[in-house]
Amino acid sequence: MPFLRFIGFAVVRAWQGFWRNAMMSLAATATVILMLVLLAGLFIVISGLNSGLAFIESKVAVTAQLADNVTPAQRNSLIADVEAMPGVSRVDYVSPGAAMIRLQKTYAERGQRLDLGGAPIKLFASIEISLSDADQAGAVGEALGGRSEVARIITKQAEYDKLLGVIGLVRTVGLVAVGLVALTVLFMIINTIRIAVYSRANEIEIMRLVGASDSFIRWPFILEGILCGLIGAIITVMLVAIVWDPIQPAMVRVFQMPTAVSARFLTTVSLLVLSVGLGVGALGSWISVRSYLSAAH
Amino acid sequence: MTAPLVNATVQLRHGRRSAADARMALDSMTATLLRRSVARELEQSSSVISMTDLGMTYPNGKVALSDVNVSIAPGDFVFLVGPSGAGKTTFIRLLIREHVPTTGSVIVAGRDLARMRRRHIPALRRRIGIVFQDFRLLPNKSVYENVAFALEVTGSSRAEIRRRVPQLLNLVGLHEHGQHLPTQLSGGEQQRTAIARALVHDPAILIADEPTGNLDPVTSWEIIQLLIQINELGTTVLMATHNQEIVNAMRRRVLALENGALIRDELGAAYEREY
Repeated sequence: MPFLRFIGFAVVRAWQGFWRNAMMSLAATATVILMLVLLAGLFIVISGLNSGLAFIESKVAVTAQLADNVTPAQRNSLIADVEAMPGVSRVDYVSPGAAMIRLQKTYAERGQRLDLGGAPIKLFASIEISLSDADQAGAVGEALGGRSEVARIITKQAEYDKLLGVIGLVRTVGLVAVGLVALTVLFMIINTIRIAVYSRANEIEIMRLVGASDSFIRWPFILEGILCGLIGAIITVMLVAIVWDPIQPAMVRVFQMPTAVSARFLTTVSLLVLSVGLGVGALGSWISVRSYLSAAH
Repeated sequence: MTAPLVNATVQLRHGRRSAADARMALDSMTATLLRRSVARELEQSSSVISMTDLGMTYPNGKVALSDVNVSIAPGDFVFLVGPSGAGKTTFIRLLIREHVPTTGSVIVAGRDLARMRRRHIPALRRRIGIVFQDFRLLPNKSVYENVAFALEVTGSSRAEIRRRVPQLLNLVGLHEHGQHLPTQLSGGEQQRTAIARALVHDPAILIADEPTGNLDPVTSWEIIQLLIQINELGTTVLMATHNQEIVNAMRRRVLALENGALIRDELGAAYEREY
């Protein structure tokens, strides 16, 4: 019971404190939302790109996208030539229709339906070449590059390198941006709580004199900071849930690959946003209250 | 205390006493020392406040108190007097463990404050009620809420608060003013509220730091009457004051500080030295 009384006391006081200092509290909450939206966006994009990476991994070693005007005879001739190349173990033809079915299947496996919102997505016919010797990828690619039937050569390595580069860049820029915003949020929360603490200095003084323990003095302020983080996180989760479906086809359009992620991923993003929001709120207010109470003693 | 031993040593050196005599003198001195030590311990254990060889020097080098020895028994009513800067505030801050002495010891309600861990300070402060010249009430809370606040922030149950606060408001004569805000009260009523708040934990000691400093003479006497009433209920009262009229009229124990030194500790005394 004493513990429940303490929790009740701290929560009520934190709630009162949040609204007593409403302007600063709401400003801090707004910066929390900004940080968490950035963080969630970064996490979604990186996870989508990682998903694309896994997709590429599952693909064959060399893919030759065929030109639009290739006849079936030319295509068969090309396939026969490729099959004769050293190091080639298998050659499969993938029609534009089969490519679309495969893309839809990939989405279905991840619990989603491919909805491009009516956007015209053109998928190429291609031949997918499996190699018995991975080192031959370069030679096969070079040989096919000179053929008029082939519009573009995609080797696994090139795609890999490109995507890894993109992921690395996005991750670095994103983390720096999130880090800077997180610092701003931390300072906002520290200042908000500091103002709250100073505005209640008389109350704190009385609490200390009548024998209130540090917990009774400290926790309402820490919870006030956590409240900023919690409200910010809840609003961010709602925003992410609202834009979740529309961003899926947008990501496919932007990255030109199936970046779809599982619907369960929304839960993961929500948990990440909530824990970071609560964590930053708690850390900021803890730093603020700790420095004040240490000085008071 | 060491005279018998010195005498015995001198006589032994001059060949006037035997070694047996010297041993007897030594035994006698040891017994005296033991008796005094026991007496001192008994005195300390029966004191609600005990300061021994107490010294307090601030980090800037200012000596606030030096070599103070005081023992206050439970139920005493003691005035702490002295000019501004004499060390009264430091004296009080040491008692509530706002400061730690640089030398000597302070024992309050059986606890050695110099060795006290920080987490034990709240428990100490519940044994000490304190009121100030400026009342220090929360302006946005009613009289009832101001008193209840002291219980609420120390984890008391609502039932306990509902039981205790009216009792205290009755004691200080404010039972009809419970819903008033401090701004709606006179200075005397505000000080009564502060006293009620100081008593919420039924403290062993009530420290009043210039409680009548902001009050007119009539109201001051009303507050003193209240403090006497509280003292008669068993609470030790230590009152720091510049009010000569009150000290002279009350004729209680007076501790006088000057330049950080305890220059007078007198029972039934006046504000100024009378001899």
